[in-house]
Amino acid sequence: MILETRNLTKIYRVGKEEIPALRGVNFTLEAGDFVVINGPSGSGKTTFLNLIACIDKPTSGEVYIDGQPTSQLSEGQLAELRKRKIGLVFQTFNLIPVLSAYENVEYPLILLGVSRKERYQRTMALLEEVGLKDLANRRPDELSGGQRQRVAIARALVTNPKLVLADEPTANLDSETGKQVMSIMRRLNEEHHVAFLVVTHDPMVTQYAQRTVKIRDGQLFDGGRTNGA
Amino acid sequence: MELKLLIPLRNLSRNRRRTLLSLAIIALGTAMIYAVRGYVDESLLNYRASTVQQFGNLQIASPLLWAEKTENFQYLIAPEKVAQIVKILQETPEVTAYTVQLTLSGLAITERKTKVVSATALEPQNQALDYNDLVVEGSGLNPNDRAKALIGRTLAEELQLKPGDFFTMTTTTVDGAYNVGPLQVAGIYTLNNAIAEGQLIFLPLSYGQVLLDTAGVAKVIVTINNIDDTERVATLVQRKLAEAGLDFEVRTWEQLAEFYRQIKSFFDILFGFLTIAVSVLVFFIVLQVLTLSFLERTREVGTIRAIGTKRYQVFLMFFMESVFLGALGSLIGIIGGWIVGQGFNTLGIGWTPPGALEPIPVRVRLELLNAIAPFIISTVATVLSALYPALHSARLNVVEALASK
Repeated sequence: MILETRNLTKIYRVGKEEIPALRGVNFTLEAGDFVVINGPSGSGKTTFLNLIACIDKPTSGEVYIDGQPTSQLSEGQLAELRKRKIGLVFQTFNLIPVLSAYENVEYPLILLGVSRKERYQRTMALLEEVGLKDLANRRPDELSGGQRQRVAIARALVTNPKLVLADEPTANLDSETGKQVMSIMRRLNEEHHVAFLVVTHDPMVTQYAQRTVKIRDGQLFDGGRTNGA
Repeated sequence: MELKLLIPLRNLSRNRRRTLLSLAIIALGTAMIYAVRGYVDESLLNYRASTVQQFGNLQIASPLLWAEKTENFQYLIAPEKVAQIVKILQETPEVTAYTVQLTLSGLAITERKTKVVSATALEPQNQALDYNDLVVEGSGLNPNDRAKALIGRTLAEELQLKPGDFFTMTTTTVDGAYNVGPLQVAGIYTLNNAIAEGQLIFLPLSYGQVLLDTAGVAKVIVTINNIDDTERVATLVQRKLAEAGLDFEVRTWEQLAEFYRQIKSFFDILFGFLTIAVSVLVFFIVLQVLTLSFLERTREVGTIRAIGTKRYQVFLMFFMESVFLGALGSLIGIIGGWIVGQGFNTLGIGWTPPGALEPIPVRVRLELLNAIAPFIISTVATVLSALYPALHSARLNVVEALASK
């Protein structure tokens, strides 16, 4: 099991008021899964993703990544875990604007201390897989939205993570480009046998899911397994 | 190039106007410190050279003279004592030359005017201290000259004297008797100092001794082979004098030159104040620019932290950016300061300090060694200004950073 959450709760405190964002969520994800969590704004999607990505702490409950409990890990240990086991794809792409597409994809490998030669091979291979080999030297502002998201997907996968988390990956793309991006993610999920967890409010994305989970008011409702697109 | 260096370097070109502003401020500050340091150093070296030219490296005299207890002329050094001192100096390899001087005061009188003057009686054309190179009109004193004098330009104007003219000098002998002697103007000198030129005259030692009616001298002037060795040689000679039972005291040129000490102290304070003011200015302006620049990258920090960059690595990125910014700005400043200094040195722009008769050219000493301190000061000021925003960025909450616009 790549990911497991047990009784995951997140409560935000605003003054004296307590706002529950997640209410005791139990969830599991196996290697090679492609799961879409679908829900409206304010349903707790991003909170759930942040907790799984280990960039936020739950109020109670536990997140297990590749069998390892994360609540007791230090900031540095969590950064190490994110670096080695988790790939992230953001709604607004979040590429480093001063780096080229190649350098953006290469960046996580530098954090891992991979040799220059291996970095080159792995980065170029990923860029080729997302169809951007020829645009490797372009900076993000010289790429279209779809191309930027493909760079972000390559960056998320270049470290061979166990799990890729995508937060609204199609929200800033037109529908056609969104479909292309989802197709690429689905293909890479199958080829790399890496688990994908996508949170979105876009119904189109659910077409690509093996399993769709609804989220509403901080609670998950498993919609069962499908074949995906 | 590793990204930890590449990202900071690339970030410098991100907002060019802002980077240029920071560079300009750092460069301006560095150039100011470098050029002013060069000017101060050059001025002090000139003052030092002219002071040594005026006083020699060391002077040996009775403690009574240094204590200004000169009423009864008991400070005078008898010829046999002079011979003993000379023997010690001859046995000291660092000593390059020596001479003796006698000082006296009195009145310089012409048919039209009378003026109070101080006279230095010296051995003309000696190896240690010779004022003949100050002469701008007429000639210097020669060893065979007897009743001749060098007078200052201001005194020459006041007494309406020119080379070849005669005047009378009156003084009091060591026994308290009134004495008068005629003197012919050999030459007119300049020190570019109106007060000194209006009071001080030079005459041959032998004639000075006649006027004071003594065979003694006031002090022995010594020059040495290395000015930076002055303190050590002074201590050495002082020890030798004590061992020989001679109750004389050695003074260095720096002890004697109160004006030099005042100037040096003034320059040190001025330069220290300037350095602090410029550093503080650079610090606060760059702090403002970098804070804004780092704040704009909040979401980027969130992103790189989310994908596994550790806090210290984020800090290092911003820190290195400030190091590059500071070093580049300082380097530009050094080049700018060098150009400005070279401009002054080439154009010979001058100014007339208080008391001077002619403008003194502003010269800037453009040594590489002088560039090191301004370079470090400006770079450190820049790096210090980046510490707080860099720490703040490194400690950002990842979720909040990702949510920022």
